[in-house]
Amino acid sequence: MSTQHPYTRQEMMAIATGRELRDGELAIFGVGLSMLAGYFAQAHHAPNIRAMTEGGVYGATPVGGLPWGIECNRISANATSFTNAIDALGFLVASGRCDVGIIGAAQVDKFGNVNTTGIWEGDIGSTYRLPKTRLTGAGGANDIACGAGRVIIMVTHEPKRFAERVSYVSSPGYLDGGNAREEYGFIGGGPSAIVTTLGILRPDPVTREFFLDAYYAFSSVDEILANTGWKLKVTPNVHVVPEPTPEELAALRRVDETGALRKQ
Amino acid sequence: MNRSKLLPLAEAVQRYGQDGMQYASGAALPVGSDAIVFGRELLRQGLRHLHAVFHCNTQQLNLLAAAGAVDRAECGFSGLEVFGFANGLRRAVENGQTVLEDYSNLAMALRFLGGALNWPFVPATVNIGSDIQARSAFAPDEYPAKLKIPTVTDPFSGRQIGAFSPLKPDLAAIHVSLADPLGNAIMLGTEWSRFELSRAAKKVVLVADAIVDTDCMRQFPNLVRIPDVVVEAVVHHPFAAWPQGSPGLYDVDESHMKAMNKALASAQGTADYVRDYVTGVDGIDAYLDRIGRDTVERLSATATGFLLDPYRKWIKTPDEVATMLGEVEDMTA
Repeated sequence: MSTQHPYTRQEMMAIATGRELRDGELAIFGVGLSMLAGYFAQAHHAPNIRAMTEGGVYGATPVGGLPWGIECNRISANATSFTNAIDALGFLVASGRCDVGIIGAAQVDKFGNVNTTGIWEGDIGSTYRLPKTRLTGAGGANDIACGAGRVIIMVTHEPKRFAERVSYVSSPGYLDGGNAREEYGFIGGGPSAIVTTLGILRPDPVTREFFLDAYYAFSSVDEILANTGWKLKVTPNVHVVPEPTPEELAALRRVDETGALRKQ
Repeated sequence: MNRSKLLPLAEAVQRYGQDGMQYASGAALPVGSDAIVFGRELLRQGLRHLHAVFHCNTQQLNLLAAAGAVDRAECGFSGLEVFGFANGLRRAVENGQTVLEDYSNLAMALRFLGGALNWPFVPATVNIGSDIQARSAFAPDEYPAKLKIPTVTDPFSGRQIGAFSPLKPDLAAIHVSLADPLGNAIMLGTEWSRFELSRAAKKVVLVADAIVDTDCMRQFPNLVRIPDVVVEAVVHHPFAAWPQGSPGLYDVDESHMKAMNKALASAQGTADYVRDYVTGVDGIDAYLDRIGRDTVERLSATATGFLLDPYRKWIKTPDEVATMLGEVEDMTA
């Protein structure tokens, strides 16, 4: 938190993500920061959002701070329905009913493919060798990336996380770009935005390559280019994202009771 | 005749555990509803070479892998959610001790469904097109992998989709909030994939935080998603998921979640953890003492406690459960 900007980069990212959600949508949030962004939207401008977790927790809002997991007691204290994974990820996401999902990423590439499985030195090659660093695997993000109407990817903006090509596609974006995704017939439309700690990237409608659409009051086009591991294109209409309003910040901080987004 | 299936934890593991078995547990996400006491007992009894099938990694798989008991694992999610990476599993995967095959969370649930239905395969409209399909840790030299999620043609539309292999684990240890002695169970909170798993596994052992009278099941039969007909044994164990939470009964033990995961990051830390929290703890009372009675009290004061209210009058006291266990032992003597 700087003196000029009374909010953190993580808070700006959560608010920018939340602004992507519209009232009344059926939405699914991953664990962690994406959940805070989603419930911020519900607390602020989308009160009628129909939110669920991938384990099938419906009608709930977090109590006592950021839930430790998507089935944690902090998201189980005021639910209206508990079901199961096949219901939430299957009946409501794989079916095509879910409007929007929010997922995180360890690494993302210029076509919006997400890696959360592992870090390898160089290409994996034809033999699936051990990763240098094993990550968490796809979880439900692959299912959301395949099935949700649109997907918002939230990720910390660092060069190592923004790769020309991810070393492992855990959750598909537009794969090799162009029409590559269509080959698999996914009912979900793919990622509509990559919202980062520095700005917002959106896909070109034809090439599906992500370009820089907007930066924040505290960041700049140059800073974003320097922190992106591929030659990021910049739209001529690149603009600054409006800063959080006091109402937005207050709503976010009510949801983020334990201050997860305020830790630097 | 309806008979009690209550068994002490150690005896359930002796009876149903096997070296090299395909062992399913977890079946909920990493911070809740995991039958970890069963995994602790597997370690106490020295079981090895497990093929672990966990819908998601939990502290149980983290511990079993850290201790070198897991040769192969299949998971949808292999972290610890907001608690970060699972250091024990991660170490075992990075050093080659445990071979970890990746799927997504829906994939694992569908594979249990396929096993439960005895289907030859389950159509896959997710996981296709990603490296989950192209890469197999169980067949590392095949690229793209041939038998993990093979491509098949939808006979109706002609579309190319994938095929998931069904799962039929040898044994599932399933955490439930409430069970009766016959093996009927109620799960508070999301059931995740425990419903499908209970029908997919060849044998099911329930690990219940509390034992209730069968009258409770007769009052809420719609909520009994695991009926006794698919259950071999019922283990009663308070705080069975600790340090993970159990909706209605106790919250996540934040500090132990972190301390445990930190310990499992090294071989020495794991050995110390096993000494202090596995081999050095014998029986329910010692286990609750080790957690700390004040911690037990604090975690039990959960904001979800009201979820348990409708069932409280049927919950058996520890003495009543001990008496029932004694009767079972007398019958089998």
